[in-house]
Amino acid sequence: MLLNKRAERLFVWIFFPLALLMPMFLEQNEYYVNKLTTIMILSIFVMSLDYLVGKCGLITLGHAMFYGLGGYIFVMIAPEYEAVNFWIYTFYICAISATVAFVIGFLVLRTNGIYMIMITLAFAQMTFYYFSDSIDFGGTDGVFVYVKPETSIFGLSLFDLDNPTHFYYLCLLSLFNTLLFFKVLIRSRFGRLVDAIHANPGRTVALGYNIFIYRLVSYVVASALGAYAGYLFTLQYGFVNPSMLSWTTSGTALVMSILGGMGSIYGAILGTLVYEGLHYSLEHLTEHWLLFMGGLIILMVMVFKKGIAGFLEDLLEKRDGK
Amino acid sequence: MENNVILETEGLCKYWGGLKALDDLSLAFHDNQLHGIVGPNGAGKSTLLNMLCGHYKPTSGKILHRGESISSIKPYEFARRGIGRSFQKTNIYSNSTCLENCSVAVQRLMGGSFNFFRSRYSQKMLDEIATQALEKVGLGQRRDHIASQISYGEQRQLEIAMVLATSPEVLLLDEPMAGMGHEESQLIIDLLSRLKKEYCIVLVEHDMDAIFELSDQLTVMVDGQHLVTGSVDEVRDDPRVKEAYLGQGDEVY
Repeated sequence: MLLNKRAERLFVWIFFPLALLMPMFLEQNEYYVNKLTTIMILSIFVMSLDYLVGKCGLITLGHAMFYGLGGYIFVMIAPEYEAVNFWIYTFYICAISATVAFVIGFLVLRTNGIYMIMITLAFAQMTFYYFSDSIDFGGTDGVFVYVKPETSIFGLSLFDLDNPTHFYYLCLLSLFNTLLFFKVLIRSRFGRLVDAIHANPGRTVALGYNIFIYRLVSYVVASALGAYAGYLFTLQYGFVNPSMLSWTTSGTALVMSILGGMGSIYGAILGTLVYEGLHYSLEHLTEHWLLFMGGLIILMVMVFKKGIAGFLEDLLEKRDGK
Repeated sequence: MENNVILETEGLCKYWGGLKALDDLSLAFHDNQLHGIVGPNGAGKSTLLNMLCGHYKPTSGKILHRGESISSIKPYEFARRGIGRSFQKTNIYSNSTCLENCSVAVQRLMGGSFNFFRSRYSQKMLDEIATQALEKVGLGQRRDHIASQISYGEQRQLEIAMVLATSPEVLLLDEPMAGMGHEESQLIIDLLSRLKKEYCIVLVEHDMDAIFELSDQLTVMVDGQHLVTGSVDEVRDDPRVKEAYLGQGDEVY
């Protein structure tokens, strides 16, 4: 079975139908539709990070590099005043960022633990300063996207990206596919190796596996998906700027992943929802929202030792036990 | 009866800084034989084993596999050549079932490790080979138990099953009986005496009863140096061994 935890099944069955209906309730309020769209885009990003950190045991603080690159690659290769095809550019962006991830991963994955954190951070910072100091890419202001891509496929155009509701559904579909993709991946034979390498790398080498290659493939896949999320974000807001590349973006995503339950994959959605939900509600209450946010996060990490996903699983298990 | 030499070392040395952990060791390991290695603590037994499986690189000297030098190949390639090892400290995937532990090992031979989409549970043959490996060590009934929840002795058996699941020709076993009770040890002894008919086994062990019972060839090492190699009786009667290691006669252990 693809969804092997009860809490997971429950969540998927509640979240996706609800998300599907949501725009009907919010018809008059574009703001919330946009907000939710952003949360879904972030969820894709956090999910790809969660796979790396929680499933592969590769702790990176440079994942935002790919998030930003997704946007920058788009403004680099797409003509400025012409609508390009969304799907073709999705392919381009994933392919280019995968190539970048391949080269960087080749260097980064020679290290481990704290050293890997430092080196991924170093690469991300280099990218950050390159783009924030470059005149061609608008420095700290970034670049505007004047024309959004069209989404026709075999002459059939399903989504109009200028329409927030359409964009919302595109992101929801992307999120669902990402979740499905990771779930299938983890259940696969490749996933068996991912689990084995995470649980006991030394033993896996002794069984005759070149674990470097498997880590590299995981890194490339997760990075390409991270870039796809960045591409969506750029399209939603119509610009790309260096803050997408900043290490705080990586850090926030890491917090969301830990909050949701590391390695649970669907927890990435939970973590992002809760984090962004808190962010939104506290922001409206007080200017010093970060202070309260910090306190709440500490509290939640203390209460939910295995993240929200782990907490839900324990809860259901306990209820079954009785 | 002449058995082929599978694995050989030629003038093998390993220095840790100024410390000679292993000094000029030349040994030959034969097919279908159990080659025991004994020696006091710090004699370099584990170092030798770690080099035979590629975990450490030799400072100088060579390791030959079927006559071919393999000193410079990558650690994972040793296992691919059929040189499997078990560890001194239990080294398993403790949160997975016994079957899954062996499946990881079998999958290397079956392929498909880069298949993203096919379910890991979908192939019967992989399951069967993994189950066979478990049955070979007598863990058939523990197939679906989580590895951390079986007894310590069974975990040691599982280690051996994992190595067997890679279809090796050489088994490098690092103290498979460490920390075991008498009865559990007897299980492993029975197992090894069956396995040595099919594999080339290199056994490092502190349990003298076991090693005398099992070894076809026995090597004694002291301070990283080779002292003597021969049959169990030859070694037992060798005066140098008595002097250096065994003391006076039978009461040492």
